[in-house]
Amino acid sequence: MADRSVGARLAGQRVLLTGVTGFVGQALLQLLLAEVPEIRLVVLVRAKGSESGEDRFRQLLGREIFTGIEGDADSLLGDRLTVVEGDLSDVPPLPGDLDAVVHCAGDVSFDPPVDEGFRNNVVGTRALLERVRQIGDHVHYVHVSTAYVAGRRRGFVPEAPVDHSVDVEAELEWGLAQRQAVEHRSRSADVLAGIRAKAERQHSRAGSLSVATATEEKRKEWVRQELVRIGGERARSLGWTDCYTFTKALGERVVEEHAANAPTSIVRPSIIESALAKPHPGWIEGFKMAEPLILAYGRGELPEFPSAPDTIVDIVPVDHVVAAVAAVLAAPPRAGAPAYFHVATGARNPLSFGVLYDAVRSYFDAHPFELGDRGAARLPEWRFPGAPAVERLLVTSERAHRVADHVIARAPRSDRVRELARKLDQQGRRLQFLRRYLDIYREYAVAELGFDDANTAALYDGLEARDRAVFAFDPRVIDWPHYLAEVHCPAVTAPLRQYDEVRKARGRRSGAPRPVAATAQPHAAAFFDMDGTLLSSNVIETYLWLRLQELDGHARFAELTRIARRVPGLVRAERRDRGAFLRSVYKEYAGARLVDLDAIADEVLSGHVLARLAPAAVRRVREHRAAGQPTVLVTGAIRPLTRPLAPLFDHIEAAELAVDDRGVCTGFLAASPLVGESRAAWMRQWAGEHDVDLAASYGYADSHSDLPMLEAVGNPVVVCPDVALFRHARKNRWPTVAWASPGATGRTLNPAGDRR
Amino acid sequence: MSRPGFVLEVDDRTPPLVVHEGQGFRLEEFPLGTRVIYPPESLPAIDDVDAAIREALLEPVDQAPLPAQLRPGMRLTIAFDDVSLPLPPMRAPDIRQRIIEQVLTMAAEAGVDDVQLIAANALHRRMTPAELRHIVGERVWRSFGPQGLLYNHDAEDHDNLRHIGLTDKGEDVEINRRAAESDLLVYVNVNLVAMDGGHKSVPIGLASYKSLRHHHNAKTMVRSHSFMDHEKSHLHHSAWRMGRLLKEHLNIFQIETTVNNDVFPAPYEFLMKREWEWSVKDQASVLAARRALSVAPRRLKHKMFHELRAPYGLTGIHAGDTEAVHERTLATVHRQQLVEVDGQSDVLVLGVPYLGPYNVNSSMNPVLATCMGLGYLFNSYRGQPVVRRGGAVILYHPLDEGFNQLHHPSYVDFYDEILAESTDPAVIEAKYEQQFATDPWYIHLYRTSHAYHGVHPFYMWYWAAHAMDHVDEVVWVGGDRRAAARLGFRAASSFADALEMVSGTVGTSPSITYLRNPPHLIADTR
Repeated sequence: MADRSVGARLAGQRVLLTGVTGFVGQALLQLLLAEVPEIRLVVLVRAKGSESGEDRFRQLLGREIFTGIEGDADSLLGDRLTVVEGDLSDVPPLPGDLDAVVHCAGDVSFDPPVDEGFRNNVVGTRALLERVRQIGDHVHYVHVSTAYVAGRRRGFVPEAPVDHSVDVEAELEWGLAQRQAVEHRSRSADVLAGIRAKAERQHSRAGSLSVATATEEKRKEWVRQELVRIGGERARSLGWTDCYTFTKALGERVVEEHAANAPTSIVRPSIIESALAKPHPGWIEGFKMAEPLILAYGRGELPEFPSAPDTIVDIVPVDHVVAAVAAVLAAPPRAGAPAYFHVATGARNPLSFGVLYDAVRSYFDAHPFELGDRGAARLPEWRFPGAPAVERLLVTSERAHRVADHVIARAPRSDRVRELARKLDQQGRRLQFLRRYLDIYREYAVAELGFDDANTAALYDGLEARDRAVFAFDPRVIDWPHYLAEVHCPAVTAPLRQYDEVRKARGRRSGAPRPVAATAQPHAAAFFDMDGTLLSSNVIETYLWLRLQELDGHARFAELTRIARRVPGLVRAERRDRGAFLRSVYKEYAGARLVDLDAIADEVLSGHVLARLAPAAVRRVREHRAAGQPTVLVTGAIRPLTRPLAPLFDHIEAAELAVDDRGVCTGFLAASPLVGESRAAWMRQWAGEHDVDLAASYGYADSHSDLPMLEAVGNPVVVCPDVALFRHARKNRWPTVAWASPGATGRTLNPAGDRR
Repeated sequence: MSRPGFVLEVDDRTPPLVVHEGQGFRLEEFPLGTRVIYPPESLPAIDDVDAAIREALLEPVDQAPLPAQLRPGMRLTIAFDDVSLPLPPMRAPDIRQRIIEQVLTMAAEAGVDDVQLIAANALHRRMTPAELRHIVGERVWRSFGPQGLLYNHDAEDHDNLRHIGLTDKGEDVEINRRAAESDLLVYVNVNLVAMDGGHKSVPIGLASYKSLRHHHNAKTMVRSHSFMDHEKSHLHHSAWRMGRLLKEHLNIFQIETTVNNDVFPAPYEFLMKREWEWSVKDQASVLAARRALSVAPRRLKHKMFHELRAPYGLTGIHAGDTEAVHERTLATVHRQQLVEVDGQSDVLVLGVPYLGPYNVNSSMNPVLATCMGLGYLFNSYRGQPVVRRGGAVILYHPLDEGFNQLHHPSYVDFYDEILAESTDPAVIEAKYEQQFATDPWYIHLYRTSHAYHGVHPFYMWYWAAHAMDHVDEVVWVGGDRRAAARLGFRAASSFADALEMVSGTVGTSPSITYLRNPPHLIADTR
């Protein structure tokens, strides 16, 4: 009797694999190289950047899972492996002697933009099949799909074509056209106005160019989200859970057309997770479907899940999937009768959410995450209250977050507010994470699908005894609690634990900028903002210092009342546009004699200013001077106010009050106030004139309106920032310092610091 | 006649005793046997102050009467002690005002029209016009202030300094040029404590850094036992050498005044009384004050204390030759402040009050609190320190008052950068003093703003050098732990804990002495 083993049946065959850089593709490649010595493989690898497809593939062969394979990359590439550089968007001609093709490339994201979904799962498949047909009708085509092409059905799902009557061509045409349509729509006045209004609320103080940059970024993001939303809506309207399963199902239709004349198999795995045994227990590449949730649970950030404890979650280890694919590959059906295989566990070894939860929980109970220095994370206890309750919880949290965010963005700056903002942002990221994953998984979490796997079982039973060990895909061998707690969870948590070790070893980032001396560079300068950075004051306060000097008791009260009434309007102006705000305050100087202002500044203001100076700021200025770097004060405050600080700076760029021929202030400025983007422009000009390298220079500022100034230099340092700048600084990892100015209480500085 | 000072031995009938701690005070129960040193009660004040002044000016010691020294066309300079004296500031009119007014009257009568008034603030901060006005009075201020004839001494105005020469020990004598080139320099002092006055007035008050560094240094201060006793103080020895050199070049008419111990005005008189003698009214005041202080915000407490003006009474005024005058002055100071103490103890307890010479209208930062406790209060002895060598000092102060950035900018850097490196006065002096003393930014602030000179925090630290050298343990009761640690000390939450902490050095049943100061006292330790 002939050798009916998989190895023997595939011996001498030449098989094309797509998607070998992916999770399943890698596992399949490894399995075939290791267990089917006489197979010859062709791999389709895309070039990426400057790396050719072959370079990328060589790197892949260098990975740990391929170490057990005999022969190095060179010898393998010579005899058994051929790299064809190419892409599913433009499939190159394939070698004419192919016997089979395994297509496991494709987008694995559940919420791709609709056009990408179609391009990857329908157009790509069709292009590949085109090339396959050029070789001949004898080529066995194995299509790796997903069990969830069944969509939002309930109950038993047979190993058969999905029952639907969607017009593939019409949907394809529509889907591909969406990119352009949405791009066009994103540029419409209505959409842009909305986006720009949002960007202005956040960035108007930094200037219109910053708003424009932010608007364009937001527009691109809007396009992406819109494409995702459109795809998801269309999918749900036709009975699928999401764009991924929808386009996969349409992809199967394309394959089925091909199957009319050629031997074709469709393998539909359910949720693929880490390997049970091969190449080694727990092997996994990248994060798949359940990992983010497992990790979030271990960090204590997943308070509930919208499923019932008895719902079946269909997980299958990757080695079972690729073993099944190999077996399918060795058993081509006849043309015109495509074979379907569900590689799933639900039918013969079901795993319920309850068991999954218990196993994951017991794993983290035994091996908790020790994140940071706060000890083990507290594990939430799931009560499985049902999807609507979880949704309500999430919606309430999101609403609370929005309210808190609104409040915090308007709160006066302080260490406490910044700490609250940091926590709020963290909370916001968690909520976003929950929203995204719960939205994606909601359907899967409540899916009550039973995937029939009779074909797969029969295939397995038909294997020779030896092959059943090598190409193991009998789900009944999986001991779920063991697999989850001993194999899967350790594997998926390992990278995070490693990262945590690294972070601990590195120590807490102090967030402080490096000392000037250690980084001193020639041609560097240091640019400082004044109000809020060097000292605690603002233009209204300084106006009052100047103005109240010349008034008696009653007039002082009247003036204070008048200014107090203007404050709400000024605060609004300040939030909108710093330049307009300064102008409206400086109008108050109309009628004052500039000489008097200078005199008052020298007599009275220097005390006010110096008493509010942050000592650490002065120290930093002096360090720059000591390092031989010019120090520059760039401020929107009026010139007389900067007089006490003159000895600290090589150059002071301040607002000049315009005066008439009698030396009386007109209430206008001699030039536009130096705020927002004009600061950056001025700095570039000044740097050019003084042979200063801005990339090596330092900038110190406190407010979101100073963003262009900070972005203009290579070493931005954020000083006691407002919430908007604080967020920006955290995102860009800019050093943040808290230069304490003496508090209002007697203008003294607490030697022990404010926080105990 | 007022009662002399005395030493109380705490027994079981002793009530809790007042201990000053910054802007507040506590009532502390000391262990049985603790010695508490009370200053003498206030000496009776001179009734007719103006007559006493006139008499002093007309009948000076070892010099011709002031009117005889005045003549038309002469250059007359009047220098006077700055805002650091007396403490608390004197209720108006300040004694200096009354003296200066009479001197100016005599000068006017003699036809002297080249008169300038200089505040002898050495490296202290420039006084504000309001502070100057408080010292010299409205009339003098109006006549001289706006014309620029009444001003603060500027130790960094090198054009207006004059190098007089070197003492026999090679010490530079450099003082204010106007004072040095005057035909007569009248110095008006308030001799609050024994360290003031004498040759400390002109050679130090009007000097420059170049001159001051010869005695304001760690080595001199460690050897000044104590600086409240000019005969045993190396600081004063140096000042005396300088003063004697100056005397060869310059006519100085020294006017010294002494005041009694009336430091607290109503309703705080109870702070000057002995606790067991508190009347019902006093007890009510104590209760009210403690309640008020416990709820008052910091700003209000600062205001409450710093607006106190002492109703000092004048106990003596002497004029003429510096050394002869100072001898008489010291006798009065000692009569008011000296208390005989029999032998040293293991532990010295000091309550650091809200005010020292360098935080008038400002804040008592940790460096100043150290200087006040381990400098001024520790050195309030004659003979030998109240605490034995190797003993312990327990101080009361919260150390949380913070730095006044306008007055003490160099202190902040001293605290943040220098003390973080070392707290050893000698090390600090050798490594960092020059840098701070010559820093252009500090000099700019000293000259144009109201900042103490860059080197001043170093002097504060040297002031405490003798105490740091003498005792092994320093613990701050109620002090902020981080601030105490930065200063090189430890903090305890209660007196009992502090005793526990020092028990390794002084044993579990040490002898304890508490200096109940203020009012000012000098422990004459036998």
